[in-house]
Amino acid sequence: MTQPNVSQPAQPASQRSTQQPAPAAKSSRLAIPDLISIGIFTALYFVCVCVATLVSTLVAGAGTIFLPAVAALICGPVFMLSVARVGKFGGITVMGVVIGLFLFVSGHFALSFVASVVFPLAGDLIARIGNYRNRVTILIGYVVFCYGLTGPILPLWFMKDAYVASLEARGKSAAYINDLFSQISVGSFFVAMVAILVCGLIGGWFGQRILKKHFVKAGIA
Amino acid sequence: MTDVPVGRSGPRAGLRLDPRAKLYLLLLANLLLFFHVDTRGEAIMVALFLLPLFAAGRWRNGLRLAVLYFALLGLGLWSDAVTLDGAGGGSGGSLISMMDGGANVGDGTAAAWATVGHVAGLLSVGIRMMMPCLITGAYAFTTTSISEFVCAMRRMRVPEMIVIPCMVVIRFFPTIAHDYRQIRNAMALRGIAAGRFALVRHPVQSLEFIIVPLLMNATFVSRDLSVAALTKGLGIAGEHTCMTVIRMRWFDWATMAVCTAPMALAIGGVL
Repeated sequence: MTQPNVSQPAQPASQRSTQQPAPAAKSSRLAIPDLISIGIFTALYFVCVCVATLVSTLVAGAGTIFLPAVAALICGPVFMLSVARVGKFGGITVMGVVIGLFLFVSGHFALSFVASVVFPLAGDLIARIGNYRNRVTILIGYVVFCYGLTGPILPLWFMKDAYVASLEARGKSAAYINDLFSQISVGSFFVAMVAILVCGLIGGWFGQRILKKHFVKAGIA
Repeated sequence: MTDVPVGRSGPRAGLRLDPRAKLYLLLLANLLLFFHVDTRGEAIMVALFLLPLFAAGRWRNGLRLAVLYFALLGLGLWSDAVTLDGAGGGSGGSLISMMDGGANVGDGTAAAWATVGHVAGLLSVGIRMMMPCLITGAYAFTTTSISEFVCAMRRMRVPEMIVIPCMVVIRFFPTIAHDYRQIRNAMALRGIAAGRFALVRHPVQSLEFIIVPLLMNATFVSRDLSVAALTKGLGIAGEHTCMTVIRMRWFDWATMAVCTAPMALAIGGVL
């Protein structure tokens, strides 16, 4: 690249790579190449989510509630590389929004869209504290980001409500219904949430290790 | 750069709705999930949602979804019958005791059947509630070309920041599939994870071996795509035009109206 070597202060480490086509102005706003990178990483992330769906459904029939956890386990490398490559505010958020949009269009519950906007935005803000270079804040941001996938499993709790409603309509007593569902719902909810936390930490750590092992050396990250 | 259709929707694909009408149907399906419409209203709505799928000429897809829905409906009705026959108070206790891993107290087979009925009922209700969303989603996904999709998003004033990644995502899926096959071939050549279940046996290793080349390639592709897109003028400020024309026609409005009416009635409790 025949880029004039003007001094560019405070340039993130991610953009030091010589192979990258230099955008005209390296502002903190998302440029077209950034958006294209985000799109590509989002596609990879979406594929990982599909794999996670498959795995969590195969391993246990009702294992769908662990979908976000499994996704958190395997999406670490994709997320870490995308943060390293883009490294600007908005990147993670756009990723979440696009995923939410695809989930919505492919027939998931509309609330999943809300979840996949709110949590990635929070994760983005957290990763921004460390200027997208501090490993700890990125890791925390990743864990928060992972909660964005709770959207697709939220209907499970709604379904329970619907089933309870149909039981009520058939004249079962309220105490009986409570008996049937009290432990299942609350317990499983907390287990699922804690599982996301643990798997997010493991997956994020794995992603950072992969990043360090393969991509930093190659000058890509 | 938006002229290749997603899926197999050719030019002769029958009657197709405007993307915005499809989005409206999706919203309706979600409302249906949200408001817990009773079974009769739900069945009517599902039938209505299946119609555009048939109108677009996607017979096999539509039939498969219809059969699945009615099978679930039958399962639900069967479970209703079983659980109504079974002892009302005892069966709940037996489910809890089975969950606790304890002894199955009380009246043997009837309670067991009731438990099976409950599980089947829960499953069938659960999946059945997702069906309207799945049907409209399948319709939207299989009958919309990328350019239509992009055009609709731009018309709805979705910011370019969202439109461009969406476009890239749709374009990039085939590349991922292609890359994956190449990676597996290369792995087989070197005798890594060659067997059928070999990938599962070393999950961490296979994840690393597959995702690292994928990511490597992704970064190169993103670089090339950026150059190509900027050359074609994606970075130019101002309004972008589309090759495809989308227009709301009378049958779009008609479909929206026809689908809204039973929905409103069902939520209102008239139906």
